[in-house]
Amino acid sequence: MSTSVEPGGVAPRHLPGDLAMWFFILAELSVFAILILVFAVTQALKPQLFSESRLLLNTSTGLAMTLSLLTAGLFAALAQAQVRRSRPRHGAAWLLAALFVASVYVVLKVTEYRHLLASGLGMEHNTFFTLYWILTGFHFLHVLLGMFILGWLAERCRRGLYDASNRSGFESGVLYWHMVDLIWVVLFPLVYVLG
Amino acid sequence: MSASRFLFVCWAALATLSVSTVLLAQSGATGVLSVAILLVAVVKAWLITDGFMEMRHAPRLWRRLLVSWALVLAVVVGVMLVVVD
Repeated sequence: MSTSVEPGGVAPRHLPGDLAMWFFILAELSVFAILILVFAVTQALKPQLFSESRLLLNTSTGLAMTLSLLTAGLFAALAQAQVRRSRPRHGAAWLLAALFVASVYVVLKVTEYRHLLASGLGMEHNTFFTLYWILTGFHFLHVLLGMFILGWLAERCRRGLYDASNRSGFESGVLYWHMVDLIWVVLFPLVYVLG
Repeated sequence: MSASRFLFVCWAALATLSVSTVLLAQSGATGVLSVAILLVAVVKAWLITDGFMEMRHAPRLWRRLLVSWALVLAVVVGVMLVVVD
């Protein structure tokens, strides 16, 4: 954790979670930024191909996946609020709700992947789909890791291992999930909507 | 406003903006609409960083780093779209 005092201030500024997690988040965001820039530059070089290929994706499915991830983010944040009130078992319940909602994303994504593969729109179909599979596949792996972390936090909450005075590890895990959400809100318009 | 209510407000704004993104895209494919869609994405990213990740209470450098991530990407993507046009 890291703090700094506001100039006129009463409440010191505070970074939730472990500082190491924040550096990890910065590293992850940097990697995704490079991938997103590659996507944007390639789109500028092949605008027609990207516009036509994007029509083969279902925007409604993309919206449903967005709402699933964001709702899981809300539930994870509500779990954190419970842990801060030293009610870890309530936190565990919210985390299980988050996992349930996040699993909707997984089902939708797997269904979309299966549909695309059945239609012959795999990674080698064209440049758009090469980048689509790399970007969304890499993000999908992060969602799975995020779900594993939320499940692990839920189990530790169930055992009463987190409370108001011992929550840094919990906050770090929840932050990881919010990072996954943050990346998706940029990926969604870029891959499914723009152009 | 309680912490839980604040989180619900952030989520409601995020959900509304997500639906708005799709509605904007369905209403046409002009440069102005593309910029609007990118702006919506930046606001959503800001809601996640300041709301869910609590960067509003974080040291300024960290807050700026997180908020500028989406902003810089949106500007670059926007410039690329202009180049295409």
